[in-house]
Amino acid sequence: MPRKADNEPERPRLLAAGAVLLAAALSLWGAIQYRDIETTYQRQSPDPYRLADQDARFEALLAAVPAGAILGYLTDLAPDDNLGYAMFLAAQYNLAPRQLHKGTAGELVLGNFTRPGDFAAVGRQHGLRMERDFGNGVVLFRREAHP
Amino acid sequence: MASLASILLSAAIGWLLVYRFAGLAALRPRWAAWLLIFGAGAALGIAIASCLFFLLLLLFPGVAHLALWVRLALLIAAGYVCFRGYRPGPPPAPAARYPYVPLLWIALAAALCFVTLGMSAAWEANPHGDWDAWSIWNLRAKFLAAGDGLASRAWSADMPETHLEYPLLLSGFIASCWADAGGASPAAPIATAYVFLLALLAMVAGGVAVLRGPVGGLLAGLCLTGVPTLLHEVPSQYADIPLACFLAGAVLAALLDRPALAGALAGCAAWTKDEGILFVLVLAAAMALVKRPRLARFCVGAAPAAALVLVFKLAMARAPHTLMSGVPGGLAHRLVDLSRYRTAAWAMLREIFTWNVGWYHPLLPVAILLIALRTHRRGLRDALFSAGVGLAVLLGYFGIYVVTPNDLQWQLQTSLTRLFIQVWPIGLIAAFLAMRMPQPVPAAAPAPVNPKPRRKGRS
Repeated sequence: MPRKADNEPERPRLLAAGAVLLAAALSLWGAIQYRDIETTYQRQSPDPYRLADQDARFEALLAAVPAGAILGYLTDLAPDDNLGYAMFLAAQYNLAPRQLHKGTAGELVLGNFTRPGDFAAVGRQHGLRMERDFGNGVVLFRREAHP
Repeated sequence: MASLASILLSAAIGWLLVYRFAGLAALRPRWAAWLLIFGAGAALGIAIASCLFFLLLLLFPGVAHLALWVRLALLIAAGYVCFRGYRPGPPPAPAARYPYVPLLWIALAAALCFVTLGMSAAWEANPHGDWDAWSIWNLRAKFLAAGDGLASRAWSADMPETHLEYPLLLSGFIASCWADAGGASPAAPIATAYVFLLALLAMVAGGVAVLRGPVGGLLAGLCLTGVPTLLHEVPSQYADIPLACFLAGAVLAALLDRPALAGALAGCAAWTKDEGILFVLVLAAAMALVKRPRLARFCVGAAPAAALVLVFKLAMARAPHTLMSGVPGGLAHRLVDLSRYRTAAWAMLREIFTWNVGWYHPLLPVAILLIALRTHRRGLRDALFSAGVGLAVLLGYFGIYVVTPNDLQWQLQTSLTRLFIQVWPIGLIAAFLAMRMPQPVPAAAPAPVNPKPRRKGRS
């Protein structure tokens, strides 16, 4: 008995055509669903970490601190706080290639505050002198020279 | 604009090299061959640019724009080699026409338009990508692009938040674009992610079309554009879509009997993410089992990128892996803790069923095709190869979940979906290879790249 050719389609043509068209239509529907979901999601939560705002906040600081600088990091948020961690990483991203280290060690320290306050006094508590207040909670501190 | 020109330059190098050396142009149908050249070329071109940028940064740290000049020289050389090696082939035989093909092309183009529209909303609202993009991949790109001895901050142990041990293909390429353009425009990572999606689509559609015919290829491409979970990862700018692209490309190249190309793409996967290292080992083992005569050429293809990964891991980013740090102490305890196996297995089994959008699930079109057209024994061997590689990689991921010292629930919640996205295209390829096609499929195996001439004196 001759072997049936491998290439021979064995499914009824109508069923095959229906399946191909239905699969294509469903996939197209999936792409449309993606567009709808992505558009709605982005409309509801644009830039959730406010990176665009950080660009503006750190713009003046970027000009004032050399690219190779290593800065300490001082904030009014708890270090393990989710918001605090996100703010630290967002600051690191915006200021790169400058490198941030949590804590107030080092010659230069970035103050990244969420609330207004007496930043000079906060700096003094850590042996830091306020070098410049850039506004919007961004402050550059310098370690006070010891006599 | 300069970033986009830089991406185009890198992709063009890849297109020319793949066209000249991978032997894909001989495949039929011709449009599928061109899709494969486009996809594999773009992905390899990006990888070559990334590796060049990184190596030149290490060897000649003070020379500005050296990587750009080398790439321009490489483009000219690759263009010349293509020109010299061009041999007009015989006029192509008239291609068979199938009733579905024009309709499927229209549907694929429409799907790509909808996908791009969705992504454009994300690019506009969130140009820096999601968390890992700006806190890891693009941040490290900024360090690499800075030059002046600051590049080592990309793998500095002082910054554990940036995962210093992660490979640098994506960051290195974005850095090269930024260095060329002279600024860190978000256009570079956005366009890179989109090019990787296009490359993935092109390779899956082209590869399946060569192996199982044009209807299968176009349907496979369409099914890939109908996976919202996967597509959402593109504007996220993570490394999972590039990795998925290299994984699918390597499996297809192995199936198309292009072992050196398969090795090169697999090596690039290892330079993209740590999961790629597991993939190289799995694919090498699969080649050793099923395609042993091709194993040596696979290894030659994988060697350059694999060597770079080894040097980076052993000599540069030497801190313990953040995923595995602390493992040895509690390893025995985790290995005998059956609840970890249950938790990880249940999460992995459940994952794929969470990808639905309302009543629509991306498995639905594939299931309809499999039920209506059924499987065919001719493609079964290739399908098993593809599925076996995908399942082995997933098994490896399962093992990592069992031993990870991190909180297992957190680890699963933050990574499992992306791990499935990486292997989804391989699963899709396997399904289409197993499927009976509603049109005649290519009769013969793909032509070898360089057919060996017969030796004299032997029959």
